[in-house]
Amino acid sequence: MSERWDVSRRVFLKGMSLAAVGVGFSPSSLMVRAAEGAEAGARVFVHVFLRGGADGLAVCPPVGDPDYASLRGSIALARNAVVDLDGFFALHPGLAPLKPVFADGRLALVHAVGNYGLSRSHFDAQDFMETGTPGNKTVSTGWLDRTIAAIPGSDVTQAVSFSAQLTRSFLGPEPVLVAQTLANFDLRARNWRPEADALLRAMYQADASEVGRNGQETFAAMDVLLRTPALSAPAQNGAAYPNASVGSSLRQAAQVIRAGLGARCIFVNVGGAFDTHSGQLAANQLEFARLGEALAAFDQDLGPLMDDVVVLVSTEFGRAAYVNGSAGTDHGSAHCALVMGGRVRGGRVYGRWPGLAKSQLYQERDLAVTTDFRDLFAEMARAQLGVDPAALFPGYTPGPGLGIVG
Amino acid sequence: MQMTAIRPATAVDIGPRLARYALSRLGFGPRPGQIRQVLAQGLQRYVEEQLDPAPDPDLETRLRGLRTLDYPIAQVLALNNADDRAIGPIVDEFVAAKLIRAAHARNQLQEVLVDFWFNHFNVNIGDGFVRYSVMSYERDAIRPHVLGRFRDLLGATATHPAMLYYLDNYLSAATRYDASGRLIQGINENYGRELMELHTVGVDAGYTQEHVFDSARCFTGWGIDNLRTSGAFVYRPAQHDTGAKSVFGLNVPAGGGRDDGEKLLDYLAAHPSTARFISKKLAERFVADVPPSTLLDKMAAAFQGSGGDLREVLRRMIDSPEFWAGAFGPGKPRTGFELTVAALRAADAQVTSSRGAAAAVSAMGMPLYQCIPPTGYSNRGDDWLDPSSQLNRMNFALDLSANAVAGAAVDARATVRSASGNPDDARSVAAALDADLFGTSLSAATLGAISRLAAGGPVSIATRGLGLCLASPEMQTR
Repeated sequence: MSERWDVSRRVFLKGMSLAAVGVGFSPSSLMVRAAEGAEAGARVFVHVFLRGGADGLAVCPPVGDPDYASLRGSIALARNAVVDLDGFFALHPGLAPLKPVFADGRLALVHAVGNYGLSRSHFDAQDFMETGTPGNKTVSTGWLDRTIAAIPGSDVTQAVSFSAQLTRSFLGPEPVLVAQTLANFDLRARNWRPEADALLRAMYQADASEVGRNGQETFAAMDVLLRTPALSAPAQNGAAYPNASVGSSLRQAAQVIRAGLGARCIFVNVGGAFDTHSGQLAANQLEFARLGEALAAFDQDLGPLMDDVVVLVSTEFGRAAYVNGSAGTDHGSAHCALVMGGRVRGGRVYGRWPGLAKSQLYQERDLAVTTDFRDLFAEMARAQLGVDPAALFPGYTPGPGLGIVG
Repeated sequence: MQMTAIRPATAVDIGPRLARYALSRLGFGPRPGQIRQVLAQGLQRYVEEQLDPAPDPDLETRLRGLRTLDYPIAQVLALNNADDRAIGPIVDEFVAAKLIRAAHARNQLQEVLVDFWFNHFNVNIGDGFVRYSVMSYERDAIRPHVLGRFRDLLGATATHPAMLYYLDNYLSAATRYDASGRLIQGINENYGRELMELHTVGVDAGYTQEHVFDSARCFTGWGIDNLRTSGAFVYRPAQHDTGAKSVFGLNVPAGGGRDDGEKLLDYLAAHPSTARFISKKLAERFVADVPPSTLLDKMAAAFQGSGGDLREVLRRMIDSPEFWAGAFGPGKPRTGFELTVAALRAADAQVTSSRGAAAAVSAMGMPLYQCIPPTGYSNRGDDWLDPSSQLNRMNFALDLSANAVAGAAVDARATVRSASGNPDDARSVAAALDADLFGTSLSAATLGAISRLAAGGPVSIATRGLGLCLASPEMQTR
């Protein structure tokens, strides 16, 4: 549906056409705008989304719960194999690199968060998380698009998505830079690059359709990215990112933040082996180690800049409390989110613990939801980005939040 | 066929546009000269040929060098057991065959459908045993049925070891505990759920979690003989849950066996929600991101009236004014794979390997056979419009026209000449490619840009002109 993008993209084009898209592009004016953006409100929200339904009972195993070990059977994590947090909860061993961040009070966990009106379909559950309107498939915009809309400015770099495709969270009128890699964001036209650049710009400039607008955004992004040397800077403070897409995306997210391009919302799509219907122990070890190393490296890389950054890690649903017949777990309900950053009141596990006794499980099979995911998302928007969340989730008035950020 | 009825009497000049449309919707787009050919033979005849594929000796010749395409699963496993480097070249040949077929097959609709149905019944080549069985999966479970009955296609995927592995059904078994009360084996819901959500009735059909669980119970015992050697389907009665099941209106009495699963497949294949769900998905691929409900009604009726004959569903779709109306709309954005193949065809590329083109498709966000979730890649064109993909699309076009894509030889001058253009004259290049590849649908801005190419310089006018054409906004839609 092409109508849905029209209005604000026009705003974006109005803002960019003179500065960046047109022939008379002036790099300095754009950089001034970027710098202004950075001054006005430098706080950044990073949403790391784990696709596939990451198991909250493995991210943050409740080793102190009397029912945990029996429910989990062959895939229960032993007390001596996990990273203790508070005697009751622990971190998955793969997430051990985050223990110092937790101890330093800059990492919080939120257990039993999710969607009360559950869908155990990956696709629906992701959609509902990203539109922020569970059960309602008629809302076409994403919750981050609506968040960005409430923030002044319309730079293409205000919203950045590290993903193969435009993510649903950003679907809507606001411009967003979608990329898997920002390096070498340039045309490959050896020996005729300037001519190719000028003529292709002319073609897309004249095209009023979605295709044309997307082409115009591509050239606008190219202008910004090619003229920002910080984007090719190596990681700092000795940070070492793992060789995995979550590592590469978070490394680039840190570069975008350091470059001061005015980025406010950064989405990091992680499509790993989280849908652990079988062989869960090995899959979790692999993916959580990557995630833990990448988040720890991001924290180290940005150093003091983390005072202005909050990272939320979440997924579409948790997994059944019971181990299934294949040393795995089927689709469940509540999951466990991570919140990391300088403004996080960390060092503790938030959320009401619903318990794992059969009578306490949702439909006698899943960890029950005790925190609506929209309350968590709303707190990110309000406390980190200064956006009033009252109208952010159509049909839902978020509660006061858990007091994690601020 | 009534398509002639929707042609206005005065429409002498819309022929090329309709031909381009047919070639781009039912296939991956025109090769040089093909719009003229289709107009000469008549659209109706082209459509009939596509619905009733004839042998394609040219394609057979092109595929002859790929010796592993016919290997059964056991042979692939045996080769890999002897030398674990064997699988790499086998996968390369498999991916190359997909690109060669898409780029060169005369039966374009068949290749579009193989791509569509593989994606509908997605498996991920990166997932363990799938790597060794995916070639058989496409060849034996998908390809033979794309113009056949939906029930046959559904049954072939349900029993194929690649699907049994990918959605974990081979692990699913009647729940059993040992003497100390420890779970030894049990139900795995993965296939039972996706069968309903993604393969048949759709997520909004109204089934419950209990139905999902019982769906999975119907398929207990459907497994794989030996993942290291035969890799064949096997039914293990001892693992089957013989209790009664209730799935979304179907009651399966206790005491059944393998047939429980077949009964459920019969039931789901014939369910009205399936007719609607499949019609909608086909229409999303072939017609529009949001297809008109009048069209879905016709297609769903054809699905039900024909007992799920997929050729009849497609015939009904193509026979509808709603289908041809798309030729005069804004166009549907091409996915990364569609754009890549359309460019290969337009440039008259001779595709011999997967190397360059497959990497380009990955860069556009849809690595071939590597879609991780069972949902498959989106059929909505809008989902593929983003700056990163756009840049990769333009760069593929520029590389291709400069003959810089490995395994896809292009001679831009020859392509322009075959379109009756003068390869040294920018205006002539623009006009010739517009007529020959776009059915004269290029915009004034695109024609103007190509016409402004400077004479001289190290890169020929033909290469630059073809590159701009393939990178143009008009190329992004079909």
